[in-house]
Amino acid sequence: MTVLLEVDGVTKRFGGLTAVKNVTFTLQKGEFTGILGPNGAGKTTLFNILTGFMPPSSGAIHFNGELVRELAPYKVVNRGMARTFQLTRPFLGMNLLENVLVACMSPRAHQDKDQEARASYLLGQVGLGGRDREPVETLPYGDLRRLEIARALATRPDLLLLDEPFAGLGSSEIEQLAQLIRRLHREENLTILLIEHKLREFMALVSRVIAMNFGEIIAVGPPDEIVKNPKVIEAYIGKTEDEHASA
Amino acid sequence: MRSIAPIDIAGGIALVAILAVAPMLVSSNYLTGVLTVCAVYGIWASSWDFMSGLTGRENFGHSLFIGAGAYTAGFLATIWFTNPWLSLPLAVVIAVAFSLLVGFPTLRLRGPYFALAMLSASAILQRLCLIFWEYTGGEEGLYGLDPLIKNPLHYYWFVLGVLVVTVIVLTLLAQSHWGLLLRAIRGDEATCQAAGINVTFYKIASLMISAGFAGLGGALYAHYQLQVSPPLFSVVVSITVIIMVYVGGIGSIYGAAVAAILLTLLTEMLRGFGEYRLWIYTLTLMLILFFLPNGLIAPLWRRVTERLR
Repeated sequence: MTVLLEVDGVTKRFGGLTAVKNVTFTLQKGEFTGILGPNGAGKTTLFNILTGFMPPSSGAIHFNGELVRELAPYKVVNRGMARTFQLTRPFLGMNLLENVLVACMSPRAHQDKDQEARASYLLGQVGLGGRDREPVETLPYGDLRRLEIARALATRPDLLLLDEPFAGLGSSEIEQLAQLIRRLHREENLTILLIEHKLREFMALVSRVIAMNFGEIIAVGPPDEIVKNPKVIEAYIGKTEDEHASA
Repeated sequence: MRSIAPIDIAGGIALVAILAVAPMLVSSNYLTGVLTVCAVYGIWASSWDFMSGLTGRENFGHSLFIGAGAYTAGFLATIWFTNPWLSLPLAVVIAVAFSLLVGFPTLRLRGPYFALAMLSASAILQRLCLIFWEYTGGEEGLYGLDPLIKNPLHYYWFVLGVLVVTVIVLTLLAQSHWGLLLRAIRGDEATCQAAGINVTFYKIASLMISAGFAGLGGALYAHYQLQVSPPLFSVVVSITVIIMVYVGGIGSIYGAAVAAILLTLLTEMLRGFGEYRLWIYTLTLMLILFFLPNGLIAPLWRRVTERLR
């Protein structure tokens, strides 16, 4: 196994608030890791830092052995690190094919001669096959998430960062999307880092969990150990009913 | 990518044919002159539409490129006495240089900086023309440019030809993968970044293309008027061009060109109304923009030809 991503002492301050505090971890190639934590734990901020959307206050990020912390977001993507957004951001006024096609034209993906065929293929991969010409405005939320993933895949990532892909979805949609993500991890030789706070789906997917609270990593380990970790239980699930009642 | 429907090509050919023979049927130099100005405005409006219409980054100082092109022609004719044809390529070069000057620092940013910078840059150039009056002729401007083609009708055909080439080139670009990226930038810059697209590069490159055609139009206008003066840099010119694009239907290129021709003709036809002319013109525009926020020309054309596609 080789190291794909190396995050070393990353800190982000907004004025007096420290949103991400001295976060250090590594991802091995092919790993499926999740970042767990309650709302406001600094997960999305960490994603924004990793993908170049936000500069860290301090710390270093190495991707494939290269320092990426000063790179613009589109350059990070072209090094092989792609992301999805928690709030899906499709290109309005365009059809599904065009939405994916934009990413097919990034320098990293550009090697293909027939980009339209590739965009169409990717839509099929995420379960949106045969709907190339549909306008993106009519798409339900679950399908928008699939479209986000297709767009990220179009940039030929080594590492895929998924920002709360299940948020706002019904349970049947979650099950289907989880299957899709699992299949992509298996078949596309992807390393995946996933943020989620829905415990059940999360634990079933990932093989390693990084638990965060108040911007800090509080525990790292396989899912079955993490759920028993007292720090995680306190931070994430909260205090027991009795304690709440007495407080 | 998106293909151009045969009906669009047919419509385009028919319109150009009408425009080309109209001055022969009426055989008036006045109409030839008005149509020449129409064609020049067509070049300005479609070039504005290419950058701002597709990327959604509004350029409030298109007159900067127009004036830069026109004054390039003016300087070449009155100071260096070169071959007047040289002014066309040089006008393009100078206008593109100005686009880099403004676009490079401001198009990296989001928000209104680019629009404001374009507005102020054109205003500054207009002031500079007055301050350095020894070189620019001040309010009077520069006189005595040579016509590129002596026969006004032939010159009109030449300008019309440039307009046709401009619209074809910009439309093909807009329909290509390039145009798709520009429209994606209009949609969401962060998503474009996440898709691995260098947003700043595409914005600056499209501004350069837009400026080049605007500058070319400026030089053509200068060689029609045989004179250049500071109002070419004015906000009025920029706003007029923007209104033409909105009436034409933003992002359609051809709509902008057709609207430019019609609105320029309208201002001329309303001359008979004397002092009421601006009233009628402004009211017409307000009604169009109020009731048809998506514009008039392109949406109308699409609706009329819907069944033929």
